[in-house]
Amino acid sequence: MDKKVKKEFDPKIVGFLCNWCTYAAADLAGSSKMEISPALSVVRVMCSSRVDHNLVLTTFFNGADGILIAGCHPGDCHYGEGNYYARRRYALLKKVTESLGLESERLQLTWISASEGNRYAEVVNSFTEKIAKLGPSPINCRSDL
Amino acid sequence: MKAKVGVYVCECGPNIASKVDLDRILETLPALDEYREIELVVKKYGLLCSADGKNYLEEEIKSNGFTHLVLGACSPRDHNKTFIGVCKKTDLNPYLYKIINIREHCAWIIPDKEKATEKAISYLRGGINRVLYQSSLFEKQLDIDPDVVVIGGGIAGIETALSLAGEKRNIYLIEKSGKIGGKSSRFSSLLPRQGKGLALIEEKIEKVSANPFIKVFLESSLESIIGFLGNFEIVVKSKNGNTDIKAGAIVVASGYGLIDPLSSESHSYSESDDVYTSLEIEEMLKEHGKIMTKSGKEPASVALVHCVGREEKGYCSRICCNYMIKIARYLKDQSDAIKVTEFHKGLCMPDKGDQSFHKAMAERGVEFRRIQKITQDGTKISFTGMDGSPGNADFDMVILAPAIVPSEDTDSLAELLEIPVSETGFFQEMHQTTDPVATSIDGIFVVGAAHSPKGITDSIFFAQAAAGRILTHLIPGEKIVPEVKVTEVLEAFCTGCQNCLDVCVYGAISYDESKGVSVVNEVVCRGCGNCFGSCPSGALRTKHFTNPQLYQEVREAIR
Ligand SMILES: Cc1cc2nc3c(=O)[nH]c(=O)nc-3n(C[C@H](O)[C@H](O)[C@H](O)COP(=O)(O)OP(=O)(O)OC[C@H]3O[C@@H](n4cnc5c(N)ncnc54)[C@H](O)[C@@H]3O)c2cc1C
Ligand code: SF4
Ligand code: SF4
Ligand code: FES
Repeated sequence: MDKKVKKEFDPKIVGFLCNWCTYAAADLAGSSKMEISPALSVVRVMCSSRVDHNLVLTTFFNGADGILIAGCHPGDCHYGEGNYYARRRYALLKKVTESLGLESERLQLTWISASEGNRYAEVVNSFTEKIAKLGPSPINCRSDL
Repeated sequence: MKAKVGVYVCECGPNIASKVDLDRILETLPALDEYREIELVVKKYGLLCSADGKNYLEEEIKSNGFTHLVLGACSPRDHNKTFIGVCKKTDLNPYLYKIINIREHCAWIIPDKEKATEKAISYLRGGINRVLYQSSLFEKQLDIDPDVVVIGGGIAGIETALSLAGEKRNIYLIEKSGKIGGKSSRFSSLLPRQGKGLALIEEKIEKVSANPFIKVFLESSLESIIGFLGNFEIVVKSKNGNTDIKAGAIVVASGYGLIDPLSSESHSYSESDDVYTSLEIEEMLKEHGKIMTKSGKEPASVALVHCVGREEKGYCSRICCNYMIKIARYLKDQSDAIKVTEFHKGLCMPDKGDQSFHKAMAERGVEFRRIQKITQDGTKISFTGMDGSPGNADFDMVILAPAIVPSEDTDSLAELLEIPVSETGFFQEMHQTTDPVATSIDGIFVVGAAHSPKGITDSIFFAQAAAGRILTHLIPGEKIVPEVKVTEVLEAFCTGCQNCLDVCVYGAISYDESKGVSVVNEVVCRGCGNCFGSCPSGALRTKHFTNPQLYQEVREAIR
């Protein structure tokens, strides 16, 4: 509601981070005291492959302005091939989000290893900027989660 | 029963307390409308992970009789286990607790204290709502069998068996041929850097025979296998019948083979030609003590051709350059008059000692000729030099170093064991860099040349590494606790489409024909949640990471 009237727009971003790589990168960024946008809220999952279409779409339907899915680099998934599945689901989800009238940039999948604290900070901050420029998500059919 | 949730925020010394206004959290949370239905106890503490902190928390859980617990503290990667341990000392099921990372994700990354505090409150609200959706989970303790089955009695299998066998651990060594030792026992010598060389291998073979805890099955093969880490059931097929074995782990050491040189377009010869593979030369020498032509004469000139079939295979076989120099030495030792030419495409000399061996043999008159291309027809060789100029020569004998390929049984073993092979055809390890001896199945390891082309030294490294993993994971008398946050099938929803079967790399899901539904083997499942997204019917549920649970966190994130 008032979110759209506000001059300065604070995007609401959900980051689904794989426990083994990106979550650890987020920890590293934290312990290195990097400044990271509070727009993104971290939701820890065990593997990027756990992020299914329902989770993504429900998150968008409920008003998320952006979703970041981040896991281990290809070949490094703790469970062997999970991130390859994540990548395929992502390709499909990109199309679905577009067909819903959402800019496809609002959904981003990326690989960040446990040692890439720097990159984690960069990705989150630049993703926040990108979403801030896009403005509030046009979709908000808040269901009862 | 009304839920009673304990919320404890940790100061973490000054780490959290100086960056997040904990008192504001203490005021804000209990006043929230949404918690009218539940009882909320919100407190702060100095250092929850300290010995005092843990005792304090334990007492608080016990005296308050919490139904759920939320901690606002550090990363679960740091102290989740610590606090699970605290819960275990109380009646609170550890899966009804959650740690919220307000240090790395708030205090340390948001410089503005007010904003950091808001974020911490948001995360904590997500956590409180999430725990209310969590369910108790119960760890199972499984008895294990410490015994190990080793498939393949080459040097890799032998070393694995010797490293593991002992009073409380029997080893079953399954060997396809009539004797153990593998290819290494067919050689006449090893590389100079390998010291005692062959005697060392023979000693190991004798030690296996003498070891009462190693049972060798000769002329035998793996017939079937079911089970999982700690509890495999194996049937071994031998000449005089089948044997049932129970074991906790399997080590695959089935070795390698050599590519047939005739499968390469650049090589042709017939049986009457004096053309041999490297292995045939090793065997000839072992048997007759001399390298001779078919007509029984000592060859006056010998060509050693490296990298046969390398282009077709697309990888370097790693060990051939070295053993070809060893063969040059056999020839020179036999007679300094033999003219030896090595045709190579760049020498691979990876280990210490290799280069000096090469130098020594070059000094003894072995000609090393680097070429771009080579074709061989019988004992006639045509080549293109590095400068592009063509050349040809005829020799009395040609010895080929065929590319190392996976042993012929690799595919059938892979199918039986349900482990993958890589695009090179060798068994696929869990991770080439960080987990090279493990496979995608917990409890199944791959060692020696079955993993990739390897010399004896590296085969021994791998064998010892796998043995180390087994020694630390399968301790006689100890139980193992499988992952509890696994996926389950809600049978009522499963349509039996079997989509999920293909997705699980661990082979944890099988199809129950009689019920027409899929079943997850909870002992094998690792809880990655990959299958969850593959189910079109919503029949899967990954415990502790269900969608309703994650939605609670999402809801707060986008409030
Ligand atoms: C010509 C030549 C010279 C070499 N010289 C040297 C050298 O000087 N120094 C050096 O370090 N390395 C040398 N090597 C490399 C060496 O041979 C290997 O490193 C070593 O043999 C690898 O041992 P392994 O146990 O992994 O495999 P292998 O020696 O191949 O042993 C595998 C064993 O498994 C058995 N087996 C296969 N399939 C099955 C099955 N389905 N069920 C049960 N058993 C099975 C086989 O019968 C065999 O006994 C040389 C190689 C060649 C070709
Ligand atoms: S994907 Fe779902 S419906 Fe299909 S077999 Fe697996 S659990 Fe059953
Ligand atoms: S959660 Fe992962 S390991 Fe478990 S059954 Fe599903 S895909 Fe397999
Ligand atoms: S475990 Fe990190 S992406 Fe699979």
